[in-house]
Amino acid sequence: MSNAYIAGADMIRFGRYPDRTPFQLAAEAALLALDDAGLTIGDVQAVYAGSTFNSASMVAQKVLQLIGQTGAECVNVSNACAAGATAVRQAIMAVKSGEYDIVLAVGAEKNPRGLMGGPLTEGPPPEGLFGSVAPPSIFAEAGMVHASRYGTTIEQFAQVAVKNHHHATLNPKAAYRTETPLAEVLASEMIAWPLTKLMCSPNVDGAAAVIVVSEKKARELGLGRAVRIKGSALVSDPYEARSPEMFDPNSVTRLAVSRAYDMAGVGPEDLDLVELHDCFATAELLHYENLGLCAEGEAGRLIDSGDTALGGRIPVNVSGGLLAKGHPIGATGVANIVEIVMHLRGEAGARQVAGAKIGLAHVLGFANVSASAVHILEMA
Amino acid sequence: MTDGKTSSDSSGILEPRPGHKAIRVGADGSQWIEGFRCRICAAVLAELTMACRKCGGRDSLAPFRAAQTGKIFSWTVVHRSYPGIAVPFVSAIVDLDDGLALKGTLRDVDPGAVQSGMPVKLVFDDAGGACDSQGAPYAGFHFLPEGARA
Repeated sequence: MSNAYIAGADMIRFGRYPDRTPFQLAAEAALLALDDAGLTIGDVQAVYAGSTFNSASMVAQKVLQLIGQTGAECVNVSNACAAGATAVRQAIMAVKSGEYDIVLAVGAEKNPRGLMGGPLTEGPPPEGLFGSVAPPSIFAEAGMVHASRYGTTIEQFAQVAVKNHHHATLNPKAAYRTETPLAEVLASEMIAWPLTKLMCSPNVDGAAAVIVVSEKKARELGLGRAVRIKGSALVSDPYEARSPEMFDPNSVTRLAVSRAYDMAGVGPEDLDLVELHDCFATAELLHYENLGLCAEGEAGRLIDSGDTALGGRIPVNVSGGLLAKGHPIGATGVANIVEIVMHLRGEAGARQVAGAKIGLAHVLGFANVSASAVHILEMA
Repeated sequence: MTDGKTSSDSSGILEPRPGHKAIRVGADGSQWIEGFRCRICAAVLAELTMACRKCGGRDSLAPFRAAQTGKIFSWTVVHRSYPGIAVPFVSAIVDLDDGLALKGTLRDVDPGAVQSGMPVKLVFDDAGGACDSQGAPYAGFHFLPEGARA
């Protein structure tokens, strides 16, 4: 099978776009990625579009309607917060199968406002009667398992928000670009203990796109800026004893990353940077251990050490992460990959991780059940 | 019990309907929590699935009446919820003593005193006074600290 490469990658700035459709956002990201690759829509043989709230509207075809109706194969994927990474994964498999040489993967979303995921059930509304199913509550409960086992403190969870907001000040594509010192994070509105508002990712709009090409096409285009897909895995949540009463973000992530490490032939010690799914600050600490960045129970100490900040041993979420760059659901999984590409090429500007050679992008989608995708990228 | 029909006795008082997937209401109005245990792999589920979620076994899930005592596995204090939901409240995942895990609201507790491993009991309630379109009440449950008065 052919290797797959990323020949173009870009995103629009995440934020609020009340006057634009999700299709316009997606089309803009697609054009940016095509320009980055030096290609046109006429070169693209297939389009995979990831979106959660807009997928039923055929986002991929709407993109072509806006930038060129070439008749290319279009597939629209929905996979909760993993939708964008799922689109990239499908593009990679289409290229590796030998079917296509140039495929566009785009993720786009106009998020609904407010707290997501209100229950749609028969009978009395369960929220409050039978605990809480709101996403902050669920990730708070997941974090409290760690806190109970290892003594992780609210300050340690809050430091994730401090770090990622600081990183976002260095990223012109991030939605929220202001410093949030620890005292401000702790003093912001309590949402679900230990998560304050600044420890929850904001609902914003956005789009990101990558051009996935075959090895043959990558060589034709020139390997100078090409990034090789070294590992790619997408999994669903394996059985867990308490699930779904107790949401478990850990086993699904561990399954995905173990497959990606195996495929890439690398381990966590080989990574130069990580973009992981910090939908809530608790999740980032859990994923330090899930991805093998530290030993079990050591995540609190890892954030305290500064090793996951820009300039540290293994910088995490130098884009600002979902917490500060923003979390337009379907775009997130593509944007995490775009960020890794920028660093491997040395084009990440003020937030560049010096000498980055290998990077990992992780996402987690959940809706009572879950999906996790991990991609490991390396300069060609 | 979840067939959408509402039963009533001769007095015209409507029997409660289960307001949660794990609640069962007997002909005499008694209420219990039903779990399912796989005869093949011993997995414990809070709902009857089409095959065992863990091992894929067919026709292997046997119902059992769950214990009404257990221990807190994890929790949070919810301060912001959906519009119209009263806050704050404690959302907790409880490991019942026979292996069934359930999420519920923990009441009559100082939120600052909640800990993993804390013993609790499950008590049935009227699901906040909710009724179906026929006026039949729903049966719900919540958790209380062990030793608290129901």
